Amino acid sequence: MASFFRNTEKKIPRPHPQEKEFSRRAHAVAGEKFFTSLCGFSALFTFGLVLFLFGFLALFAFPLFKNGGYFLLLTTPWQPLSGKFGIGPMIAGTAAISSLAILIAFPLSLGAAAFCEADFAPRPIVRWIRPVFQLMTGIPTVVYGFLAVFLLIPLLRQALGGSGFSILAAALTLALLVSPTMILFFSDAFRAVSREDVRTLVGLGAKPEERFIYLLLPQARNGILAGLLLACGRAVGDTLIALMLAGNSLAFPASCTEPARTLTAHIALVMASDTQSPEFQSIFACGLTLYFITTLLIVLCRTRIQARR
Amino acid sequence: MPSPKTKIRIENLSVSYKENRVLSHIHLDIPEKAVTAITGPSGVGKSTLLLALNRLLETEHEARISGKITLFTQNAWQDIHHPHTDVFALRQKISMVFQKPNPLPMGIFANLALPLKLRGIRKKKDVEEAVTQALMQARLWEEVRHRLREDARTLSGGQQQRLCIARSLVMQPEVLLLDEPTSSLDTKAETAIENLLQELKKTCTLVLVSHSRRQVADLADFEYAMPNV
Amino acid sequence: MNPISRFLIKAASIFSALSLTALVFFLLSALFIKALPVMDLRLIFGNTPPLEALSGVKPVFDGLFPAICGTLLLVFLAVVLALPLGMAAGIHLALFAGPHTRRWIGVSVDILAGMPSILIGLLGFSVILILYRHFPAITPGLLPAAASLACLILPYLIRGTQQALTTLPPELFRSTLALGASPVQALRHVLLPAARPGLTGCILLSIGRAAEDTAVILLTGTVAAYGLPSGFFDPFEALPFFIYTTAAEYNSPRELAMGFAASLILVGLCGGLFGLAALIRKTFLRNPLTGKA
Repeated sequence: MASFFRNTEKKIPRPHPQEKEFSRRAHAVAGEKFFTSLCGFSALFTFGLVLFLFGFLALFAFPLFKNGGYFLLLTTPWQPLSGKFGIGPMIAGTAAISSLAILIAFPLSLGAAAFCEADFAPRPIVRWIRPVFQLMTGIPTVVYGFLAVFLLIPLLRQALGGSGFSILAAALTLALLVSPTMILFFSDAFRAVSREDVRTLVGLGAKPEERFIYLLLPQARNGILAGLLLACGRAVGDTLIALMLAGNSLAFPASCTEPARTLTAHIALVMASDTQSPEFQSIFACGLTLYFITTLLIVLCRTRIQARR
Repeated sequence: MPSPKTKIRIENLSVSYKENRVLSHIHLDIPEKAVTAITGPSGVGKSTLLLALNRLLETEHEARISGKITLFTQNAWQDIHHPHTDVFALRQKISMVFQKPNPLPMGIFANLALPLKLRGIRKKKDVEEAVTQALMQARLWEEVRHRLREDARTLSGGQQQRLCIARSLVMQPEVLLLDEPTSSLDTKAETAIENLLQELKKTCTLVLVSHSRRQVADLADFEYAMPNV
Repeated sequence: MNPISRFLIKAASIFSALSLTALVFFLLSALFIKALPVMDLRLIFGNTPPLEALSGVKPVFDGLFPAICGTLLLVFLAVVLALPLGMAAGIHLALFAGPHTRRWIGVSVDILAGMPSILIGLLGFSVILILYRHFPAITPGLLPAAASLACLILPYLIRGTQQALTTLPPELFRSTLALGASPVQALRHVLLPAARPGLTGCILLSIGRAAEDTAVILLTGTVAAYGLPSGFFDPFEALPFFIYTTAAEYNSPRELAMGFAASLILVGLCGGLFGLAALIRKTFLRNPLTGKA
């Protein structure tokens, strides 16, 4: 043991490390304070941006409020010739397309997520399927819309008559768009269920399907709800698919095979018109409505995510 | 034998964390160049006391500290909570070794060079000298001299802990705080570190939290049993 | 549970997964097949010789080159604008903010992330309109579109940075502070390098998100045909917009096929970026304290 001590006794003369510090620190401290303030400012900026967005929309939509009130606006039809600039039809359009899309996508996504996480298929196959869903999230909405215009619309035209541009076309494509997000979200929710609990059930002789229904589904309830809300938000907020596929008619739609216009598509279409007209101002009413809907969905989604933790 | 000089004087230290009182009116003088063991049952606040000494406790958002802690350094008493105190320099003078070895995700040499870099010491020669000397002091030099660029996390548990000690030593600290440094190590590694500590107390004041009666008996010159809150 | 119910559940699940997978493969193959006839250099450069197009000597009329350049320029600008703000805000939320701040700013970041992109485009357009009355130089164009796009990707950068930092082991920050580092020094020397995989992943994701978005640029500066923008307020072409206008109207089978090809390129670009991000996250998901996966 003694031989090890030899080197530690010898002190190589050199300036004490802490003496060099003060000249550097003075500059550094100022720089660091600047950086941390910058960080705080950036965070505040984001908060301000959201408020600014709301304020802007409210400001521009204000003139319309004076004439009939916001809620009246939501239900009246769009009849510019008689001076009615209600966005009722657009709300109906958004509601119809989004709900149909979610109705189609939800069970499919749940099933696909179960496939990935609930041991319904041998592992090697599942390992190759999951990346497909991850890849799907990388397909832009405009590409889905483009493909649907040339592949789906002719099909619908043949099957159902009419032009093919309809709520159905948009809903089917929208369902395809939101599925991967839901699948991955649900997958994560299932994955988060405690392994111990799963193993307990396996030990009791439960089959995969039984484990799915009695353990995974109930435990992942909040995650599933959160994913659903997120998908709703995406469906309501999507512009391109409705713009390209739903026909953009201004009447209240009567059935799924009829065309319709969504809030988002309305904004995109009317942008090009005269900026002083009440027509133009109606898009801000649309914007405000969208803002409310999405904010509500997001806040609800957050409560579900927090309940999960 | 002359009575030992005091290195750290703790006066009336109280710490609350989120409504709970963790430390209550602690008075303690820590003598220099000796091993002071802090003992007591689990949860009585031993680690908290250590964290108060190098002001690491402040980084917890909800901790409230009151009392006075002074350090005898450069021939004067310095209040560690004084607004003019450079808390970062303080943490290099009073350096801490944690229970679980915590090598940073970088090479062995880089781990040791970091404290120097933080103080602005960049000249290659100075850095290499300091690192080599610290590794020799921590009895790790021979084992790692040929693998200084390797990731520090590839070392064994005992080696990692000696690395952490070396990392603390590279700034030539005046006080070394050790929070159960050997409790996660096997006996062989534990013995190596205990021998190292015996050596270090000649140049450094050591404050050691330990659960092992045997370790306290072997190493400690002074013992402070924490009062129950 | 009786065997029939079990069978139904299993069958439904397998059907869902396989049908979706089959659909995706079908769509991608359709894209590929329809784009095949035009997959040559003419797709990109039209009738202009490639070298002259690349050096900007001659404009390209018939090819995707202006749209590709437009998209690349746009995305680059948007990221340059959003990255410092986003990372700084993310760092603030991860390290410096108290619980109240974290909650309120967290809510606004989430709201911004969930905001329909058309609203962000609307906001951009309106701001341009207002500014135009005072500074006639400000028109829809490259910079306003990039700024709007920056608002779109900002929440992803913030969340990504925040997550990349908070998923680091908490002892890492504390150990670095114990060595005498200030929080900023700890960030610079230890935390940010350790969070590099997460950070890279989120940047790639944001780039992908910016490249694919049509709704924002629809209103803030993209046009169907212009060539390369030469100023910050010039209009520009973009790939997603090209795809959109081709679907609305195309004049020849070749143009249609170009639409498919542009879609293929865009899918390749965005899918590739997202895939790369996922790959990075998986490869580097080693625990920063133990060095093991």
